Amino acid sequence: MSKDEAMTDPERHEPAAPRLRPVVRAMIWATVPVLLLVQLLASTGMEASSFWSQISQLDAHMARVAESRAELIAEPLWKMRYDQVTGVLNEIMNDETIAGATVYDDTGAAIARVVARSADHSIAEISRPVHYSNGNIAVHAGRIVIDYSYAGLYAGAGSRMVRLLVVGLLATFATLIAMRISANIFIGRPLAAMMSAIQRSKQDGRAYPADVKSSNEFGQLARAFNAMQHTTSGALDRLGHMAGHDPLTGLPNRRSLTERLAVASRDGGRPDALVAFCFIDLDDFKGINDTFGHEAGDNFLVHIAERLRGAVEAEDWVARLGGDEFVVIRPEVGHEKAAHAFAQQVLDAISEPIRLHDKQVVPRASIGLAVRRADDPELSHLPTLADIALYHAKSKAPGTVAVLDEALQRDYRRRRDLELAIPTGFAEGQFEVWYQGQVDFESHDVVGLEALIRWRHPEHGVIGPGEFLPLIERSGNNARLTRYVLTEACWALQRLAAAGRPQIRIAINLPPSELADHSLAAELRATCARFNVAVSSLELEITEGSLINNIASATATLHRLRRLGATIALDDFGTGYSSLAHLRRFPLDKVKIDKAFISEIPDSAEDKAIVGVIASLAGTLGLTLIAEGIERPEQAAAMREMGVRFGQGYLYQRPQPLDAMLEWLAKRPKSESRIVTDSPSIAPEFAA
Amino acid sequence: MTGLWRILLAAGMAWGVLMPQGGAVAAAAKRLEIVFVNPGKIGEVYWDMVAQTMQAAGRKLDARVEVLTSERNYRTMQELGFGVVARHDKPDFLILSNEESAAVPIMEAAEAAGVKTLLLSNTLIGEDAVRLGPPRQKLKTWLGDITTDLQTAGERMANALIRTARDEKWQSPDGKIHILGIGGDEITPASIARNAGLKLAVDAAPDVVVDRLLFANWTQSEAETVTANYLSWASRKQIRPAGIWAGNDPMALGAMRAATAAGLVPGRDIQLVGLNWSEEALREIRAGRLLLTDGGHFLLGGWSIVLLRDYADGCDFAAVSPRVEVKTSAITRQNLGSVADLIKTRAFDRIDFARFRAKAGRCGHYDFSLDALVSSMPVPEGVAD
Repeated sequence: MSKDEAMTDPERHEPAAPRLRPVVRAMIWATVPVLLLVQLLASTGMEASSFWSQISQLDAHMARVAESRAELIAEPLWKMRYDQVTGVLNEIMNDETIAGATVYDDTGAAIARVVARSADHSIAEISRPVHYSNGNIAVHAGRIVIDYSYAGLYAGAGSRMVRLLVVGLLATFATLIAMRISANIFIGRPLAAMMSAIQRSKQDGRAYPADVKSSNEFGQLARAFNAMQHTTSGALDRLGHMAGHDPLTGLPNRRSLTERLAVASRDGGRPDALVAFCFIDLDDFKGINDTFGHEAGDNFLVHIAERLRGAVEAEDWVARLGGDEFVVIRPEVGHEKAAHAFAQQVLDAISEPIRLHDKQVVPRASIGLAVRRADDPELSHLPTLADIALYHAKSKAPGTVAVLDEALQRDYRRRRDLELAIPTGFAEGQFEVWYQGQVDFESHDVVGLEALIRWRHPEHGVIGPGEFLPLIERSGNNARLTRYVLTEACWALQRLAAAGRPQIRIAINLPPSELADHSLAAELRATCARFNVAVSSLELEITEGSLINNIASATATLHRLRRLGATIALDDFGTGYSSLAHLRRFPLDKVKIDKAFISEIPDSAEDKAIVGVIASLAGTLGLTLIAEGIERPEQAAAMREMGVRFGQGYLYQRPQPLDAMLEWLAKRPKSESRIVTDSPSIAPEFAA
Repeated sequence: MTGLWRILLAAGMAWGVLMPQGGAVAAAAKRLEIVFVNPGKIGEVYWDMVAQTMQAAGRKLDARVEVLTSERNYRTMQELGFGVVARHDKPDFLILSNEESAAVPIMEAAEAAGVKTLLLSNTLIGEDAVRLGPPRQKLKTWLGDITTDLQTAGERMANALIRTARDEKWQSPDGKIHILGIGGDEITPASIARNAGLKLAVDAAPDVVVDRLLFANWTQSEAETVTANYLSWASRKQIRPAGIWAGNDPMALGAMRAATAAGLVPGRDIQLVGLNWSEEALREIRAGRLLLTDGGHFLLGGWSIVLLRDYADGCDFAAVSPRVEVKTSAITRQNLGSVADLIKTRAFDRIDFARFRAKAGRCGHYDFSLDALVSSMPVPEGVAD
């Protein structure tokens, strides 16, 4: 689910997305400098050409002024009416561009000079000769020089430039505003509308249309977008439903469960109301699949789903978590007993027979029930808690309702702790192999030892295999543990031999998974070779369950082990299948009668009868019998009477570590080295 | 020389005392009514003196001279002239001066009214002269004109300057004698004639250059300005100014002030000449600062009455020419005494105008020279002493 989220949630990618640069601003940035530059260049160019033409016009004008003044002053100059000359010069001083004028006579002396009040730096000068002529003479009378200034032109050009610049800036500003407004109307607004639709769609996963009405490209885009949103909307709805529902049964799925719990904790009715959470697991659904095929299996699940729906009230909630797991939640129950009754009612509904392929099938299920107050902060842990109860139900009493209580929780926590501690256990050698002797009822000699695994946990102390072996198996460490036990056993055999008890054999329990391991035989031989012990000193105990799961493979492995010389013993016989056919089919040397039959002996006539049958059958099949759980001498006597020759149990010895066992052995009188391998089955195997 | 003048003057005065009867006899013939439209304004020395000599002559020659002053306004002048012509009792003669050619309409009106006219000092020029031709042809009542020979005056003035400069060796580094000319204006005939005289004289003297002919509007101050400008220019050109020719006395006096201001001593470093016989000029001549002043043409007033008396008495001056041109005379330190007093006091009644009338059988022949003038006056007591 979290993977799905990562894939569908685009917000995860947003930090990497580039910072938003509005298109309008980008357009303005791209346009305005160009606009400004063009306007600046154009106005500067126009102004420059106008300025130069004005300069040349001014020069030409000044030349004309000088020439006309030269004509006017020729006579007064020649006739030395210098006051008149000055008068003529004064006339031209009205022209603001003229900074001064000087008239020189033919001797070069300045005879008239006028200067403007304000003289400045940018001065140009024009000089023209003054010729005087009348009817009789034509003479050079002198020269007129006019100083004039371009300052007016500069100032004019400057102010015009400033005006052009201001007008240009205003025009640019106006363009900018117009661009902003129009871009906002034509681009920004439709984009924002679509963006907003996308944002809203992102927020709640629904597809919202964008509110754009224009008929331009953006209008078309928006319409296409809306059409896409429409399509997406349907797809999203379907997706949303699919994400939250099981396609087979139509029930909400595991994902919905999380949401449902969140809802329950948020708006559970009364705070003191209890929420009943039933975790349902169908027993042996695999068998139904195997027997009737997967289609029928699916059909079966659909039936179950319908039943669950039919069994609950409207306010209850049913989900399929996957496979054969279902959940039923009743949001308000009065008390724990009512919850239990409800769970039982659900279980009963499931257990009605179903017809599959014209055959009646009675579904069986286990229910783990957890009840919590609606305001319990641990409400979201309900599935886990119910699962603990379910585990308990399935392991202890399949087909029942197990209610989560303190003990179950404690068990669960301890189990979880142990499971987590397994790797450490291996690494730190916390697993120990203890031994329990197998005694010949007649000679009272110890003929063999059963290797029993113990876990010396630093906190929990020594833990028996019944508690931790399932955890070992679940964590996939069966093979490792078996190898460990095998190695220890070989080492123990070596010690036994050294202690002068080479005739004592050691029995190892083989878990079912090991029987499927083809390399076991080779490893066994290699390990024995390493410790220099005979494979025939090893006895391998198997259970019926491990045989029937994979008959062909188990048979092959057993034959291989037996050929190496190991003895094969069938453990816990009498419980489970207790198939007599198995005794004949598999290459067995020994049968261990389960202690369940021994404990009531000699008082229970039925148990004595069963043991008697087993003993006679074993005798017929040539199998050695050994009774487990011998605790009292009369049990040993009864066994001996019924023809069971060997036994093990607290009567003789509790399981203990090797050193203690060796010590214990050393105290017992050593019988003469009579090897009790009166199992005749070995010879035929080797002969075959 | 002075002694001779004194004798002549004394003789003239004696003659005047002795001959009053002759004038009375002549006057008895017919008393003339003469109107003179004066173009100038009252206080304008020349025209005042013209009118005064005219009236003095009238008293001597039995003519009543009425002087109307147009105050230098030609419209006023024309109005006055038309008024005279339109009178019921028309005068015998109307004397006009064609200043600014304003007299022509009056002459035409007089022609229509049958009033005889005489032009004084300024005659017809240009288009008018062409159109109306000589006197007594188109305009029958236009008897003629009496003018001064100002060209000769100008020439005489220039020659006096040249002579002095040559004597004093006032040549410039270029070896030439440099002279400044100051004219009154460039358009009036009286000015043009004087200037032409200057030109004639200089053209005849290859060693003389007129650097400039400047115009000062007849006024002293403007002449002073242009002279100052000239002197400054001349010093830059390294010219040694030898003389200043001025078209009238006020301009000569202005030039004199400028020369003095420029550090020159008139009469010693530079010579100046003027025209008009003005009182101030005579004073400067006496002081040795002015070389001469030409003129005496204010006497045209008196001479015009002489002409008209003779005409009325049947001795027409047109026997020689209707156009009478009177020579002017130069007054220098040498002949200063003879007329200085006359001008100073304006005692024109001392002149016996009857003596200047044409002799019988010699109509049109007149001697209006300075000598004749001097001899016509009694020797003054102060001078005789």
